[in-house]
Amino acid sequence: MLRMEIALFLVLAFVANTYYSAEKKFTQLHRTFSMLLMVVLLHLVFDGITVYTVNHLDTVPVFLNNTFHRLFIGTMILIFFLFYQYIAILVEEETGKPRRLDLSAGVYLVIAELGNMLLPIHYAVTPQGNYSDGIHVVFCYISVAFYFLLGTGLLLFNWRSIRKKEKMAILFACAVELIGTTLQAINHTWLISGLGITLITLAFYVILENPDILRAELTEQKMSMLYLKSQVNPHFLYNTLDTIRIQAQLNGDKQVAELLMHLVDFFRLSVKVDRPMVTLDDEMELLEAYMELMCYRYPELECTYDIDPELGGMQVPNFIMQPIVENSLVHGLKNKGYRGKVEISARRTGENQMEIAVRDTGSGFEPGKKDAVDKMLRCYARQPAKLTGNSIGILNVQKRIKLLCGREYGLWYTENDTGGVTAHMLLPLMEDGT
Amino acid sequence: MKKLRVLLVDDEILIRQGFKQLFDWEAHDCQVVGEAADGMEALSQIDLLRPDLVIMDINIPVMNGLKVIQCSRMKYPEMAFVIVSGYDDFAYCREALRLKITDYILKPVNYEEFGSCIDNLKIALFQRQLPPEAAPSEERVIVSITRYLQEHLSEEVSLGVLSEEFHLSAQYISQLFKNEIGVNFLTYFTNIRMERAKTLLLSTALSIGEISEQLGFLDYRVFTKAFKKAEGVTPSQFRRDFLEVSK
Repeated sequence: MLRMEIALFLVLAFVANTYYSAEKKFTQLHRTFSMLLMVVLLHLVFDGITVYTVNHLDTVPVFLNNTFHRLFIGTMILIFFLFYQYIAILVEEETGKPRRLDLSAGVYLVIAELGNMLLPIHYAVTPQGNYSDGIHVVFCYISVAFYFLLGTGLLLFNWRSIRKKEKMAILFACAVELIGTTLQAINHTWLISGLGITLITLAFYVILENPDILRAELTEQKMSMLYLKSQVNPHFLYNTLDTIRIQAQLNGDKQVAELLMHLVDFFRLSVKVDRPMVTLDDEMELLEAYMELMCYRYPELECTYDIDPELGGMQVPNFIMQPIVENSLVHGLKNKGYRGKVEISARRTGENQMEIAVRDTGSGFEPGKKDAVDKMLRCYARQPAKLTGNSIGILNVQKRIKLLCGREYGLWYTENDTGGVTAHMLLPLMEDGT
Repeated sequence: MKKLRVLLVDDEILIRQGFKQLFDWEAHDCQVVGEAADGMEALSQIDLLRPDLVIMDINIPVMNGLKVIQCSRMKYPEMAFVIVSGYDDFAYCREALRLKITDYILKPVNYEEFGSCIDNLKIALFQRQLPPEAAPSEERVIVSITRYLQEHLSEEVSLGVLSEEFHLSAQYISQLFKNEIGVNFLTYFTNIRMERAKTLLLSTALSIGEISEQLGFLDYRVFTKAFKKAEGVTPSQFRRDFLEVSK
């Protein structure tokens, strides 16, 4: 039997390792499960030790045997308390109703642990193996029954308001508690408590606590934070800016009015994210609004456009120009005090393709940076979905071109002989609806 | 041609002021005769002043702009409405289209470009008072000319061509457009071509190329550009938007 305890311990140690190294949301449920894992591992150790000591009653001092048995039963009671606690928190999360049984569960835990520590232990010796017996062990059965009733009660009372997956986990736990305890009560020498406990813990892990679920929760949380950040009512923004613009124009300040007009245009165009593809003209309109503002802020910044007018109606992925140009400004021209030039060009390069180039006279790549960027753009699919970082913008552009236009198209960078870098985007000639 | 009487409705005083002072009404044969800051005031001003044109914000207190239009429509079917709104979404557009408003423009309003909106309105008003059918001999010259234009949308019609066709000087015809409709010949001709384009886009399955051919554009890219300038969207986008709305 000792071999079973060792196997169970190894399985759970592996699970615990995965679980503790996973990044997760900080919730009561996950905290309870962390604690549960720890206690179960400890329990399996004591389980293994007692399996040995109880069968070597002659060689192991009675005091040591008693101590390990008390620790073994003590952790077992604690585990059933934690199972109940986990179920209670889960039900609370599902239904939104506060937990009312915690006090009785806690009070009973204290009583049971005291009984476990103080009541005498008796050992039964049989040909199939030895086991501990007596009032002390009865306490253990009562604990299981008590927490089983609490857990099942919670499940049955809230049957309708718990989702299927969570319901399954609780149901499984209760069923294993019932069947395992009954079998153990009938066959005292089976000593299967460790097996039952491991099964329940594994079920919770697989159904509710596995790394995929933890990651999904975390991403959801981050996304909702980002979402909240973007919740400033855009109409309020346009309307207020527009009022300011009109006042400026009424005051005779045409320049401020014009700047505000560009700003409103930029906002209005950039929140139109519902279309995956737009015309090149639309993209250029957005970019021009952005560049007008930047050039006004940095008068030594210059921007030229050389767009083949034939290409204006071509479909391109939405919002690909501005991130590329912004990247040129922030990583290239900023280092030169925003003194320099951005040249934007679009021309036909083949029967069915065009190239958009964004050439800047900025500081160029730092040593080694070009290789990193090349690698990132080449292995675009394998990059983790980072929610922060400077390169997220161009990576995002690359991903959308590949997804919407095809894998043969895409974004790459070259270094100019005269300094600075050029971003190239190869795109298909796709016309709108015709 | 008599001046168009305009009522401004917006709850923000500054926006009304901007409209009044920053757009050259005089040059467009218009006159601002009144203002209103909420829906009820708009209704009473409409009753009192009977304007030709109401420039209307949607999101105004007491009663929203669309409701005001709906109420006034029944009493004054001739009245023109131009919606000016920051609500860049199609729920409003759909409602507005149903109410047969003259135009729908988005904030921020570019006062230099607002003139083309007034031009469209003048043309729409002129088209509306055209007699359905009359003996050519009794028709006013401008009516004959516009009828001719309607029938020759796919041709390269210029003032010179008209002058030969109607035995009148090009300058006289040009003046005729200014006096009778209030816009110049080219604006008028482009406008009716674009109106036809919209009808064709929505009521037929013709491709953009075929439509541009029917309207006399040799290169459909030129047509796309002209359409975008007039409507703010490309022809195919216009078609797609409308199909989405009617779904």
